[in-house]
Amino acid sequence: MNLALRDVRHDLARYLLTALGLGLLLTVVLAMMGIYNGLILDGTALPDALGADLWIVQRNTRGPFAELSQISHRLEERVRAVAGVRLARSYSAQTIQRERPGGGKLRFAAVGLPWPDDHGERLPIVSGRELRDPHFEAIADRSLALALGERVRLARDVYTIVGLTEGMLASGGDPIVFFTLSDARQIQYDVANEAVRLEREARLARVRASELGLNPENLRRAHGLSSGVPALGPLPVAAIMVDLAPGADVDTVRAAIGAWPDVTVHTTQGERDLLLRGSLDLMLRQNGLFRVLLVVISTILMGLIIYTMTLEKLHSLALLKLLGARTTVILAMILEESLLLGAIAYGIALVAARFAFPYFPRRIILGDADRVALLGIVVLISVVASAVGIRKALAADPNQVLAS
Amino acid sequence: MTVPLAIDARSLARHYGEGNRRVDALKNATFEIARGEVVAILGPSGSGKTTLLTVLGLINPPDAGSLRIDGHEVLREGARVTNLALFRRRYLGFVFQRSNLIPFLNALENVQLSLELDDVPPREARGRAREILTSLGLAERLDYVPAILSGGEQQRVAIARALVNAPAVVLADEPTAALDSERGRQIMEIFRRAARERGAAILFVTHDHRTLDLVDRVIEMEDGALTVRAGGST
Ligand SMILES: Nc1ncnc2c1ncn2[C@@H]1O[C@H](COP(=O)(O)OP(=O)(O)O)[C@@H](O)[C@H]1O
Ligand SMILES: [Mg+2]
Repeated sequence: MNLALRDVRHDLARYLLTALGLGLLLTVVLAMMGIYNGLILDGTALPDALGADLWIVQRNTRGPFAELSQISHRLEERVRAVAGVRLARSYSAQTIQRERPGGGKLRFAAVGLPWPDDHGERLPIVSGRELRDPHFEAIADRSLALALGERVRLARDVYTIVGLTEGMLASGGDPIVFFTLSDARQIQYDVANEAVRLEREARLARVRASELGLNPENLRRAHGLSSGVPALGPLPVAAIMVDLAPGADVDTVRAAIGAWPDVTVHTTQGERDLLLRGSLDLMLRQNGLFRVLLVVISTILMGLIIYTMTLEKLHSLALLKLLGARTTVILAMILEESLLLGAIAYGIALVAARFAFPYFPRRIILGDADRVALLGIVVLISVVASAVGIRKALAADPNQVLAS
Repeated sequence: MTVPLAIDARSLARHYGEGNRRVDALKNATFEIARGEVVAILGPSGSGKTTLLTVLGLINPPDAGSLRIDGHEVLREGARVTNLALFRRRYLGFVFQRSNLIPFLNALENVQLSLELDDVPPREARGRAREILTSLGLAERLDYVPAILSGGEQQRVAIARALVNAPAVVLADEPTAALDSERGRQIMEIFRRAARERGAAILFVTHDHRTLDLVDRVIEMEDGALTVRAGGST
């Protein structure tokens, strides 16, 4: 006859309620594990998806993900001339928050793909297609909840969503929308008409005040499009991505470009490391600390629960001793109740995680390894907690039965 | 071959406290009880009746003395010389005034448990438990938990549990105190029958002199000292 099961059955409602509470606590532990995985996956999804071999950034910066980097997109041509380079692409990204078509906020990171070299072939597109036109098309992440074919006004133009990706999030958790590079820059550097007009007037005044102002042609140009002003450089990009030619050696190319005094070169793995040890590092450590705390709290809580459950049974335990029960019978009873409590709580946590986590604002990613790890933790907690009860149970005195 | 004595106690003694707080709860207790005997223990409150039962039940270690139960030496010069848990479940049965039963087990399971603790296979244990409960008039109460049994029913379940593994000795501490006199008498008759049919020696503490006509002998206690006299049934 299993005493643990019969004791549980005797006060089933309370036992299950306790398991439910513990299960929700374990759900939070699971959530923390999933958030940790999500942080890493989201944080590194972009460099992984863009799939460049090398990243060229502003000298001495840890850009473009962990830190701001600005370089001229003209660098592209210089890089293409390096032996072993197949393709050089500009990269720029910016977080944008606008109005949704139907109202509400539309927040995303705009990333530019260099037309015509990159149509988004490497992106994890789950429905729709790649970019086919150099303008006014966009590939959005599913989590942004825009529909295929939906039209969104950004800056001065209307863009059509032609493709949807899965899991393309910036390290801050915002969904990414891919445009052609020129469209992305158009959206990023959308300047009000008045600002453009004021800038032209200021330019005109500056040129007029200098010797250049003696030439009316110069004055005409200064008052025109900024791209028509030879002395003005183009707006910078964040980085240049390099794809290597087949058979080229990463280290050789990296050393060649790295020797230039105006840039720094990172590998894709290097970018990942910069993210994980840079901007994500504190979040990851914070998460780890929370997990440890939650496990400690769960252990203490479970210890208390088992202790109280044992206290309530003390009379029965003393009676069992009086009837000549072996010590192992008593130990097994307490250990089994503790393990059963842990097991039910674990099951509740798995179910709760399955149904609740998809509704969390940020991605929670759980692997089998995490589930097994939690199971291990639960078994450990249960055993530790039952030790508290067992100590008390062993001290139960058969004389107490007579005293009462 | 002679049948061994159920209880053979020699100079058992037990005191509590020290100095001027010292209480000699049991002094030089020497007596013999045969199998099949029903013995009442009488005496005022604090005279040492419970102490005597707990010393005999191997719950309370004595200061001195020797004890044989069913021919087995269990205490020599006050020291235990046996596996107590094993001895308790095989040779001794206990019944107390109240809260005898495990609250989360029903009547049948409470009795069955006592057998399973002594490694009787569950099916057999179940059968024997059902049988003895039925013989005590509890056939309709097998799946009742203690909380919904009456006081008298609880005591009968406790007695069934004490008797089911055919112990040499049943020790009962005021088993009828919580019952009215009619139910108390029923319990006494059950003891009487168990002693006769199962050959158990029954030792029980009581305050009810009206039941003494059913006992073979009476142990009277006064300040830890005991005197043995014949009871009403002889
Ligand atoms: N655990 C104990 N510690 C100290 N004194 C005790 C203890 N148990 C019993 N006594 C004392 O021993 C004496 C006998 O007690 P007990 O055997 O319970 O008597 P009875 O059962 O006849 O009322 C009493 O004076 C009681 O106060
Ligand atoms: Mg007493």
